[in-house]
Amino acid sequence: MSEPGQRFERVVLPHLDAAYNLARWITRNDHDAQDVVQEAMLRAYRFFGSLRGEAKPWLLAIVRNSCLSWMQVNRPADLAGFDDRAVDAVPTEEEGPEAQVLRAIDRRMLNEAITALPAQFREVLVLREMEDMSYKEIARVADVPIGTVMSRLARARRLLAESMRAVSNAAGRMGK
Amino acid sequence: MTPGEALRLLGAYVDGELDPLKTLELEAHLAENPEARAACERLRGLSAAIRAKADYHAAPASLAARLAASVPPVPERPRRLALPRWLPLASAFACVAALAFVAATLLVRPGEDDRLAAELLDAHVRATLAGRAFDVASSDQHTVKPWLSARLPFSPPVADLSAHGFELTGGRLDYVGGRRVAVLAYKRRQHLIDVFVWPGEARPGLNLSRDGFNIERFASNGMSFWLVSDLNRNELGDLAKLLAERAAL
Repeated sequence: MSEPGQRFERVVLPHLDAAYNLARWITRNDHDAQDVVQEAMLRAYRFFGSLRGEAKPWLLAIVRNSCLSWMQVNRPADLAGFDDRAVDAVPTEEEGPEAQVLRAIDRRMLNEAITALPAQFREVLVLREMEDMSYKEIARVADVPIGTVMSRLARARRLLAESMRAVSNAAGRMGK
Repeated sequence: MTPGEALRLLGAYVDGELDPLKTLELEAHLAENPEARAACERLRGLSAAIRAKADYHAAPASLAARLAASVPPVPERPRRLALPRWLPLASAFACVAALAFVAATLLVRPGEDDRLAAELLDAHVRATLAGRAFDVASSDQHTVKPWLSARLPFSPPVADLSAHGFELTGGRLDYVGGRRVAVLAYKRRQHLIDVFVWPGEARPGLNLSRDGFNIERFASNGMSFWLVSDLNRNELGDLAKLLAERAAL
């Protein structure tokens, strides 16, 4: 049990699904996500000795970095604004009475809307809602201050709600 | 609190990330402002929709296989230095004797719990890794309980807690601490929770964290319960409380 290989297996491998989910949502492609995660796991294995504290944010930070380096090489256009730390959420005026739109959310529409979010908003949303991570953990993964996590998350949700509303309005018009 | 500030803090409030003072202020604001309340509900609705409906991409089996092939199971590490020969044997003996004494007098109980916790954690991770979370897959307590009772010399209490957000996914058998134990597999969001149950004396409750997993123990009605999961400590505590209530009935 004290062998490092077995410790890696016990400490890091249980987060493989989380690693893949994050990579899949950042790269938006199954094949790329597999390559990136494989490389990230090897990196994690090599740097296992540097792990301090919780394994999950540590691993996801490595996965995220692997995604970024991969995209720099293969899809630089998708990275525009990824590390723009000045992005701040300006609360908007209220959003109208279509709250029921969210209740009727369609699975496919939702997935498409998340996929279409700019990368830096998509990743915090995935970490928060799918991995159930705290702001502090997300800050560690994305390497930004907690305040930035909060504003990006707010922005992500607002963009998502807007795009869901736009889609369902369009669908409503077509139905008439 | 201004409406602008309330709107800015709403997300952190919904995420349970607001400090207690701001939470009170915001709740006072919400109580008086139906619009802010509606915005809050919309946020909760969106969050719930993502959790319930957005795709969660679990790692495909092919990836796990590729990893198994590329990550060496046990890496080479420099061997630890052997004790220098010149070290006086007597002092080594003294150290060992002192440690043994301390262990024997002070640490026996915690040591036992520690070992058991490590064993349970290993059992949980092994089952998760192997994708073998249960031998009997069912969300029906009336299927899981008889299946377990038929294979064990005791009948573990099995509770349906889906109304509380803990979904029963099945049960399995395991061998821990030299005895056969029942394992109830629950799920909350993406988190798998193993509840190990066996007849045992009442011991004080316990919770600890290890390698990112939380472990919680309690005893009720002659049964010992150990919960192991990567779920956060609060929610794991909630499950322990619910199980204890059901077991005490």
